[in-house]
Amino acid sequence: MAQRQATEPSPAAAAIRILVVRSGGFAGIPQQWHVESRDDVDDWTTLVTACPWDQVGTDPASRDRFIWRIEARMPRTTRTAQVPDALLVGPWRALVDRVQDAGSHG
Amino acid sequence: MTQGIVPPYLLTRIAELEAPEFRDAATAAKQTLILDRPRRAARLSFTLDAEQNLVAELSAAPNRTIGNAKNTETLPGAEVRAEGQAAGKDVAVDEAYDGLGATFALYSEVYGRDSIDGKGLPLDGTVHYGKLYDNAFWNGGRMVFGDGDEQVFGRFTASYTVIGHELTHGVTQYTAGLVYRDQPGALNESISDVFGSLVEQYAKKQTAATATWLIGEGLFTKKVKGVALRSMKAPGTAYDDPRLGKDPQPADFAHYVHTTDDEGGVHLNSGIPNRAFYLVAHQLGGHAWERAGRIWYDTLLSGLTPKTDFAGFAAATVAAAAKRYGGSSAEVAAARAGWSGVGVTTNGAATGD
Ligand SMILES: [Zn+2]
Repeated sequence: MAQRQATEPSPAAAAIRILVVRSGGFAGIPQQWHVESRDDVDDWTTLVTACPWDQVGTDPASRDRFIWRIEARMPRTTRTAQVPDALLVGPWRALVDRVQDAGSHG
Repeated sequence: MTQGIVPPYLLTRIAELEAPEFRDAATAAKQTLILDRPRRAARLSFTLDAEQNLVAELSAAPNRTIGNAKNTETLPGAEVRAEGQAAGKDVAVDEAYDGLGATFALYSEVYGRDSIDGKGLPLDGTVHYGKLYDNAFWNGGRMVFGDGDEQVFGRFTASYTVIGHELTHGVTQYTAGLVYRDQPGALNESISDVFGSLVEQYAKKQTAATATWLIGEGLFTKKVKGVALRSMKAPGTAYDDPRLGKDPQPADFAHYVHTTDDEGGVHLNSGIPNRAFYLVAHQLGGHAWERAGRIWYDTLLSGLTPKTDFAGFAAATVAAAAKRYGGSSAEVAAARAGWSGVGVTTNGAATGD
């Protein structure tokens, strides 16, 4: 659980919030994780901007694989993407791993 | 009667036999050798006729290969069991091998279909995929099974329904080609559940009344309050667990779930056609693979378009039943009643929700 609060109040606009929703899979049971941070904004921004949000790609042949919906609300912009499980590699995997480790699950 | 998988060297030996009493066997073996693509297996059965001649019959046989990803996400993994090799000590490998065989048997023996593509396509599977990987999937060419996380899910090879489900995605890919989104996607999912369940029912020789109609029974660990992942007989009742929530499948069209996740809820809305199939099988009674399954299989091969919706599929099942059993048959009545039972019309008109 890492819903972090800054010791000093900072403007709400300076916070970052990342939501990861895993849907699909044989079982069809969704899972989600999210993280909100005000003091690690730079670290998170680095992870988020490393991802190829505009060139996600598709996996039309697979059936029953997970689909990862990732939403990153950052101080100046909000990015969203639907990433097929087969393409959750490199920076996407790094971002999701970090949210799963640091964020709350449920 | 002896029955076995005949390796190519033995086929060659049989093909060379010249004694008249082995004439049929030699001919069958030659045919296999001539017609075969590489890697193709065949099943030869030998019987003696009234004159003590050896009669050989050639039939389709699976050609299975199981790989072990050794907890990586690299496919296909190291080959650990090929067709005809004996079982080893790895339960997941042998469950996958046996499940592929049971699926091949249903399609071949009941519907006369030679493997996924109808042309003897080798059946490939990979087990031990990923670390604590909570899933089984079809990647367009092979089935892939994770070991589960040991908290919620155990091995995904543990149920024939899962293996039959994955291979049926291949059958649908080679036949109707239903797109994997919204209603056609939910039909694609449901067809996999239908034939996945029939693989288990056929292997266990169950009737519509004695079958469980559960998908993925035994996949949950003992910590989960639930019997399976889905129930075709009673969608929405397979589990109710503090951590996982309640099984969210709708049982009729009035409760169709609109969502953007899961390709438009393909694993949720499949509950509706799943229950329609159960109702048809229940009404007809006996072995579900014989008449209800035959109607669904005929429908799959009836020239469906990739974007067929529930109402279009329902109408196609009625047409398939009429073609095979006659317009005023009990099978047509059962097909109509099954879809009516889940609120889907069978006159081909789009159904409002
Ligand atoms: Zn599926």
